[in-house]
Amino acid sequence: MKTFLLSLVLCFSAWSAFAQNFTYGQVTHDEMDFDRKKIDSNANAVVLKEFGTACIQKDDISGQLELVFEYHTKIKIYNKNGFSAANIIIPTYKGANYEELITELKASTFNFIDGNFAETVMDRKAVFKENRSKYIQLTKFTLPNLREGAIIEYSYKLKSPRLFNFKTWEFQSDLPKVSSEYQVFIPGIYNYNVSLKGYQKLSDQKAELSKECLRFDGANIDCSKITYLMKDIPAFVEEENMTAPSNFKSAIYFELSDLTYPNGAKTSYTKTWKDVDYELTTDQSFGSQMKKKDIYKDLITGITQNAPDDLQKARAIFNYIKKQIKWNNYYGVFSENSIKKSLESRSGSVADINLNLIAALSAANLDAEAVILSTRENGTINKLYPVISDFNYVVAKVNIGDKSYLLDASEPLLPFGLLPLRCINDQGRVINLKKASYWIDLNASQKSITSYILAGKLNADGKLTGNLITYTQGYAAYNKRKDIQKSGSIDEYVEKIDERLPRIKILHHEIDNLDSIENILTEKYEVEFTVNDGSSNKQFYLSPFFINAITKNPFNLNERNYPVDLGAATDERISIQITLPDQYELLEKPKDMAIGLPESGGKYLLNTSLENNQLSLHQVLQLNKAVYEPSQYLYLKTFYSKIIQNQKSEYLLKKAN
Amino acid sequence: MKYIIALVSLLLLPRPGFTQLNFDADLISPQLRNRANACIRNEAITVDMIADDHVTYLQKKTITVFNQNGDDNARIAIGYDKNNAIKSIKGEIYNAGGILIRKFNQNDFSDMSAVDGFSLFTDSRLKLFTPSVNQYPYTISYDVEIRNKQNLIIHDWMPTAQHNVSVEKSSYTFISKPADQVRIKTQNYPGKPIESADEKHKKLCWSISNHFATKSEPFSPDPENYLTKVQIAPRQFYYYGHKGNYNNWQDLGQWIYDDLLKERTVLPAATVQMVKDLVKGENNDKEKARKIYRFLQEKTRYISVQIGIGGFQPVAASEVDRLGYGDCKALVNYMQSLLKAADIESYYCVVQAGSVKKSVDPDYASMTQGNHIILCMPLKGDTTWLECTNQKIPFGFLSDFTDDRTVFACTPTGGKLMHTPKLTTQHNLQIRKAMLTVNPDGDVTGKMNTIFSGGQYDNRESITDKPLSEQYKLLRAVYNIDNINIEGVLFTEKKESNPQLTEDVQFSIRSYAPLNGRKMYLQLNAFNVQPTVQELRNRTLPVYINRGFTDEDTLEFNLPDNLKPELVLVEDKHFNNPFGEYLLKVSKDGSKLTYFRKLVLHDGTFPAEKYADFSKFINDVHMADRLKLVLSLK
Repeated sequence: MKTFLLSLVLCFSAWSAFAQNFTYGQVTHDEMDFDRKKIDSNANAVVLKEFGTACIQKDDISGQLELVFEYHTKIKIYNKNGFSAANIIIPTYKGANYEELITELKASTFNFIDGNFAETVMDRKAVFKENRSKYIQLTKFTLPNLREGAIIEYSYKLKSPRLFNFKTWEFQSDLPKVSSEYQVFIPGIYNYNVSLKGYQKLSDQKAELSKECLRFDGANIDCSKITYLMKDIPAFVEEENMTAPSNFKSAIYFELSDLTYPNGAKTSYTKTWKDVDYELTTDQSFGSQMKKKDIYKDLITGITQNAPDDLQKARAIFNYIKKQIKWNNYYGVFSENSIKKSLESRSGSVADINLNLIAALSAANLDAEAVILSTRENGTINKLYPVISDFNYVVAKVNIGDKSYLLDASEPLLPFGLLPLRCINDQGRVINLKKASYWIDLNASQKSITSYILAGKLNADGKLTGNLITYTQGYAAYNKRKDIQKSGSIDEYVEKIDERLPRIKILHHEIDNLDSIENILTEKYEVEFTVNDGSSNKQFYLSPFFINAITKNPFNLNERNYPVDLGAATDERISIQITLPDQYELLEKPKDMAIGLPESGGKYLLNTSLENNQLSLHQVLQLNKAVYEPSQYLYLKTFYSKIIQNQKSEYLLKKAN
Repeated sequence: MKYIIALVSLLLLPRPGFTQLNFDADLISPQLRNRANACIRNEAITVDMIADDHVTYLQKKTITVFNQNGDDNARIAIGYDKNNAIKSIKGEIYNAGGILIRKFNQNDFSDMSAVDGFSLFTDSRLKLFTPSVNQYPYTISYDVEIRNKQNLIIHDWMPTAQHNVSVEKSSYTFISKPADQVRIKTQNYPGKPIESADEKHKKLCWSISNHFATKSEPFSPDPENYLTKVQIAPRQFYYYGHKGNYNNWQDLGQWIYDDLLKERTVLPAATVQMVKDLVKGENNDKEKARKIYRFLQEKTRYISVQIGIGGFQPVAASEVDRLGYGDCKALVNYMQSLLKAADIESYYCVVQAGSVKKSVDPDYASMTQGNHIILCMPLKGDTTWLECTNQKIPFGFLSDFTDDRTVFACTPTGGKLMHTPKLTTQHNLQIRKAMLTVNPDGDVTGKMNTIFSGGQYDNRESITDKPLSEQYKLLRAVYNIDNINIEGVLFTEKKESNPQLTEDVQFSIRSYAPLNGRKMYLQLNAFNVQPTVQELRNRTLPVYINRGFTDEDTLEFNLPDNLKPELVLVEDKHFNNPFGEYLLKVSKDGSKLTYFRKLVLHDGTFPAEKYADFSKFINDVHMADRLKLVLSLK
């Protein structure tokens, strides 16, 4: 993640030619003829100009302060594939006693016809509103009379009573932009923390003084007027195996730090972790819930009665909460109702469940803390100063002896100490009721391990029969357990595998530790599969790569812009022993291999042999890192490519006389 | 007389159904649990047509969920709009033993728009409730009452629509006044409904019980065509202020034409004149239409606007003329109006669109069939069809979106059933020729020409639209060969009523034929390996192949001179059976090796017991496609 703290120190410059909004309805020949090669020769549409302002003003009617945001843009559309750029959706929020409003919306299409710019103005009736959900309303419109080569322009004003996050500005979107400029007027009484995320750099930033921009409580208040400018911004393209796009998209974010009223009274919002710690630990929906160990006073002896030590106690409590409260698919840091209520209704959000877990662990006199974090799709956290709204998830941390374990009871199929993949995202903040908070790395505590062991014999009829045993741990086991659960029963799961694999018959199966989440998931299959029809048994080819053969390269791109984030290290081992029906000579065989990735990032080992009539193969494939930087991408690609090439070769066996 | 007897016998019977409220999951029989994620214990739907503008829909449903996969079956989603209002919802959740855990009502439902994606306007909304219960089995029981202010669309009954759900009992009761005339279409319902009547009401009741859970099977027919189903269409109807009556497609088409379409075709005089100028000097109607169609494709684009009497009436042609966009109804209506300005007759046709072919039912007219509109020009026997929502599709070509199905045309003289042209196995072609040079170290360079036509014409649709760099990326994914590098691509199109798309691609593949010891391994079929299909133990449904195709691949390999000249050559392969044909030939001439592969798959329906033959055929093709040559180095 790249986040920069932008200096809000007001070094008022004498920047007289300050930028201004461009005039609506004036299209130039330069714009109409804009050559997309200058920015992105592949673009179907390009944002030529984008300008926004945001300020805080007093609403004349209610007398309340509100945020006024104005947006104005001009987009050149090159072809039909760019027409979707003319379908606009503006979301606005509404709450119990407030609503964001859009006014002064106008939009026009400009076509160049017979040497003239022909403007088609959008009809007011062509704007539709839709209540997406209880809290979100969508304003939707599309531009009229759109032709290839047209320029569209639209602008609107948005008023919002929500001042806390001011107004975020996204410099980067799915269209490339020639210029994107954002001007904010922040009254001197307000103090915002401002951060710029993403890989693109600002082209310019100016701060000046804007005199008496707000009259409030009988005082004239000056504003700092800051202009952020970015030029020639490439389109944002999402890649596979990446965390939230918001981590990489260039945008500017605000969070209210403090507000000083004209009478001198000051309210601090997010400021230091010390403040946040206090707020959180005293919050009705957070700290107070963590403290409610009384709920478990009577239950705890029952839950932990067979546990000889603290670790066993913690495990028993973890299992109890997993079983007792079902996750309702909502994330959250703050308990929605109360932990008591969710325990009674046996259903709750992530916060309800894990705050329950913390309370229960504390009731058993275990040292339990809360870890607030941001999930992978929610983006990474700004660590320069506390931004509570960045966090969307809470898990428990229990400290036993000199060890600590991170626990999330919302996923019943995960073992003790392994967080769901969605939580493996940089760092989380540990919130302790008594001590100061601190950062902790969020890593997968277990590797994702799979091993296959096949022992079999090749029969004279060309069929191979044998036993295949698979052991899985970590996320691999979690995914498999989830698959089995989805299949309805073990029999149906095996039936599905069997149906998916032509030429392989599963004659018998046994799956162990399906419900013992803490143990290695073991599958045993008696299999039969057809190698050949037995007609050419004097000399024949045999490919030993019939278990999880790698035929497609998962890293097939020529370049990569953002890190490859796999979440957890993986380890896969395959071991095969085949008894041949006779004595054979090994004429050809796949090369034995030992290759690695730089910085111990991973390795692949292959070893095959024929001794007497025993054909054997041992293979290890390890990816040791959870995250690979873009510079490592080509190594990964080559690594896989070498494996694929080698797996194309086969044994050539010739009957010994 | 018959009615009286029925009534008396009803009175004598003990009242079944909801009087005994025992929701203990243990009471469900083992057969109903087998392969079931959930069991519908009892569902009773009652539709009461009190008046044309007042129909009540009552649903009482009890469903037991056995495991996590059944949670979706217990989710309640109720659609509503201005004309169909939810009067009440209430329900309870019970645990495994049938003990009440909690109650819920409308306030526990979330409310959302029923349309995803970009739609300018829609008033279809959804109320959604997801019971989150963490211990299985559990039972949910609820009552829903909806008031429809219309009777054009009557809620139908399809009690066994979901896989992996068993049904203990389900019933459907339709109540109307004795004088009301309705048409009823039943499918796969053994026996007759129970009928009862008095002076004010006439009641019909269908029911089924003990339906065991089924699992989904690949290559099976459309469930709509074989599952138990009851549909009802009243003769007299009321809809969004409109009144009408119909008994068949003829009547319904007449009403749509007269009430919804006729007034919508007026164009501004300037546009009419523009059309006249556009076709001036052209004598042939088809050529005139071609010009007008080009104008339509340049001027308009598709935007979903579900507005106008419940989404059935197009926006006026003059509006589309002004805005340059519209939904399928609006664009077809606009094209029709443009054609009219050139005195060319055309029909507004309702069709069920999608790759899976669905026809309207010739014997049962109703307003619920079809989800798309296309335009048909009779052109004195040279019937030509137009898809009006796609700006790139060739004139006169419908693609696999609406091919080979019965559609319903709304004409000035009433509704008519028509059939769209079929894209046949012989015409759904992918013909490929490639020249590949294998270097001594196993690298391959080459160029390849592929012609797509018929049902395969739009195989590359999602790629041709894209910028060049994106095309390279997507082609790498299409051909998905390790180390393939696309070095150039050109798409050319013949936009005729039998259109063709040609892809010319240049590429290199590093280490395609890896060396190992004294051998080189060469997989001959590089670009078109048939995927496998499942082998099923107990196939119950017929084998249905929706659309046939023919693929031909001719690959010429120039082999390097570090190979021994003698080669173990491959025997020809030829499979031929009712499902299709497969041909594989490898020949060698000096250093030139030619691989030829042909795969033909026929469309059609085959008996269930033939599934094993079908899967064997496809899996044999898969194995043959993976043929690898092992070449000896000098």
